[in-house]
Amino acid sequence: MLQDTISAKKYLFDPDAHTELRLQRNRERDVVLLSGDIVENSRSDVAGVSARVYRGGRYGFSSMAECSEEAAERVLRAASENAAFMNAHSPAGKPALRSITGGRIICDTINDPAQQIYTDFIRELDNYIVKHYPKLISRQLNATEDSMEKLLVVSDGVDAHTVLPRSYIYMTLTSETKAGMPVNVFRAFGGEGTFDVNFTDPAAYFPEVDKLYERLMQKREGVYADAGLKTVILSGELTGMLSHEAVGHTVEADLVLGGSVAAHMLHKQVASELVTLSDFAHTAFGERCPLPVFVDDEGTPAKDVTLIKDGILTGYMNSRETAQRFGMEPCGNARAWLFSDEPLIRMRNTAIHPGKDKLEDMIASVDDGYYLTATENGQADTTGEFMFGITMGYEIKKGKLGRAILDTTISGVAFDMLKTVDMVGDQVEWESFGFCGKKQPMPVGLGGPALRCKVLIGGR
Amino acid sequence: MEKLERIAQYLLDTAKEAGADNVLCVVNETETNEFNMLNGEFSLLRTMFDRSVQLSLLMDQRKGTITVNSFEKEALLKAVEDCIASAKSAEPDAAWEFDPEPRDESFTEGTLICDKERLFERTQELVDNITERHPKIMIEELYTDHRAARTVLKTSAGITSRISGGCYNMSLTYSAHEGEKGTNFYYGDTKLLSLDRPFIDCGLIEWELDAVERQLDSAPLSGKFTGTVVLAPNALADLVLGTMSWNFLSDTPLIDGTSIWKDKLGESVADEKFTLSFEPYAADVVAGGRFTEEGYRAEDFDVIREGKLISFMLSQYGANKTGGVRAGVKGYLPFPHIPAGTKTLEEIIGGIRRGVLVMRFSGGEPAPSGEFSGVAKNSFLIENGKIATALVETMISGNVADMLKNIRAISSDVLKDGYGSLPFMAFDGVTVSGK
Repeated sequence: MLQDTISAKKYLFDPDAHTELRLQRNRERDVVLLSGDIVENSRSDVAGVSARVYRGGRYGFSSMAECSEEAAERVLRAASENAAFMNAHSPAGKPALRSITGGRIICDTINDPAQQIYTDFIRELDNYIVKHYPKLISRQLNATEDSMEKLLVVSDGVDAHTVLPRSYIYMTLTSETKAGMPVNVFRAFGGEGTFDVNFTDPAAYFPEVDKLYERLMQKREGVYADAGLKTVILSGELTGMLSHEAVGHTVEADLVLGGSVAAHMLHKQVASELVTLSDFAHTAFGERCPLPVFVDDEGTPAKDVTLIKDGILTGYMNSRETAQRFGMEPCGNARAWLFSDEPLIRMRNTAIHPGKDKLEDMIASVDDGYYLTATENGQADTTGEFMFGITMGYEIKKGKLGRAILDTTISGVAFDMLKTVDMVGDQVEWESFGFCGKKQPMPVGLGGPALRCKVLIGGR
Repeated sequence: MEKLERIAQYLLDTAKEAGADNVLCVVNETETNEFNMLNGEFSLLRTMFDRSVQLSLLMDQRKGTITVNSFEKEALLKAVEDCIASAKSAEPDAAWEFDPEPRDESFTEGTLICDKERLFERTQELVDNITERHPKIMIEELYTDHRAARTVLKTSAGITSRISGGCYNMSLTYSAHEGEKGTNFYYGDTKLLSLDRPFIDCGLIEWELDAVERQLDSAPLSGKFTGTVVLAPNALADLVLGTMSWNFLSDTPLIDGTSIWKDKLGESVADEKFTLSFEPYAADVVAGGRFTEEGYRAEDFDVIREGKLISFMLSQYGANKTGGVRAGVKGYLPFPHIPAGTKTLEEIIGGIRRGVLVMRFSGGEPAPSGEFSGVAKNSFLIENGKIATALVETMISGNVADMLKNIRAISSDVLKDGYGSLPFMAFDGVTVSGK
């Protein structure tokens, strides 16, 4: 646990400025087993202190790779000098930030499991794969963990000591088609929590290996998708990607100010009336979110943000500064990845709300289209134009699932595509592996139910 | 620098005493000053004082690696202890190897001193230039920084390598707007040793700004055709070089045997117009890598020469695993260089009956086979030798290995952004699809 060397430094805060002082440690663990060989076996522990000072509409920031009281004093001085430099060279003359009611939030401590625990667990999974599926041409297992521990003191708002650990196993199995071309499938397991808590029994994952292998066998017989505009059923995993990439980024207030299409759409119809979308802080649909956030790095207590309500765009995600510009309430979206990073507007757990349709009815309703079930990556534009890489999917012919398809990509314009949604599944599926990229990486949760809609699909 | 050397030596000695056979240590100290602009307005000045210690060791051919960012004795001792424990958790693998030959070398590049006032002026000047010359461009994000770094590599085999210097970086993201009309965003980075010229004169920035402004009047493509795709340098790096690097040439696909080029060394894999090398020492590369993660001195090397596969991009570990040869540098596109062709971009477009010019590619991870599909961002339709219209909602798909055999032309126009030297390239036989 971090030793508190910063709380006592509040007396140094400039009374005419908003100040954040943050002590932070990031931990990463990584073991990679490639076809039986450990090709990566690494640990990383990075800690330090940073300060950010807001005065007159300009920020100054400084960080040091030390956790001492002297380092805290030095970064406070440097951040204050940087704010002064900006105000001298580019004065904005903006008012002070609106104050936030103070308080203190303290979360749990976290374990630090030995490297042997990661290695042993995936070695046992690998042994199972070798024994049952010896004809694979390649298999890769990653055991990984990253965690953030933060101590935050602010001039106004909530002081906090929080931890956010998460751990995963990534599994990739590779076979080849009859023509000798390699094809692979991927699956991630895990979520919030340290590795020793999330992964206790390798045998519990053997059935998941079997399912993944079955998908690989379907995919090696797979066909190219037929390129063009198609009716598709997106699985909950893809709906999560849609919520985050295609909609979420366009309604981050800094991107709205930068020219996002959402700048012109507030309070307008942007989706089918069946679509409601929220960025949840820590609790969604009565359960703890995949990666809960209770307070952000500006000292704002975290609350949910409703972004789309019954198809109408209702809000943006904000920092304290952008909330003031838009006359909205800050809800705890300003987050930083490392001690040396400044808080940026980031999503937390972004999801479309469930509807009433059963997945089997949704598939049965499609005459000629695709059921798309897995994605590894996605990107979106400030115009709302998005793309997701599709790594698993099936043809739908006359309401029945058909052959698997080879890797492809789907794309569309979010606020056009969401208007084509005419069925919404009744089950929510969440994912939280990987990182959102926006100057800094950030762990996020994303989720939703199955959707029926129209998208552009790549292929031959 | 002496302090960093002392820390590195302390780690080597401590790890050896704890039972390590081979030790490699990289100690680094940096100071970064960064101006941030959001939405065309200065928002933040950051100053970061950072440091890192990376320790890798072999113990009975078991490898462990740890990274920390403290120089405190207690933290360094714990790092050695954790690294030894990590190594013990692994199985022995005879393929692990650090450079066994001793050497002593020093490199200096650029300046350790940040000219903060000049950097501010150049940043403001870029914004003013864009506002005057490209009034429809809206800057979403602009970061300019100077990073000063001192780095020491030391190994138990007697290697000491010192690198000292600093460089400037400019990262710009923007789109064009007119009323409620807006284009896709576009971005690019430029690395510079000095601030002796305006940012807008670097790389292809002026051409790119102009092209994005012309994308305001765009339309989706109707239907599907097979034609010529001209990839601008950034799209070329992301799609073609990225897929080659990750799927065909690097350790993982060669060790696990999924690379479709695994048996192609010495054979033709691309059109004979195409040569690709990686050149950390090239004159137009700023702050190129000077050593590999296994301690070997970085070297310029050819991957493909006149269409023939000359070298993979293997580490010494990958080379030992596959019976191959270690490459001069390792990593994701380490300072790529493709020799320029003879025709200008305009001349290349003039010879295309139907195709697209793509400035940015946004797609799913290409399959191990090289199959890909994705969105042609910031793109134009080419018809009968002319730019016809800007496109949105248009996808391209194909196979990267096939594309390399169907190279129509390589441009004489080249992007030199401090990271490498890349031309525009035209490929035949790519599927282009719209609504």
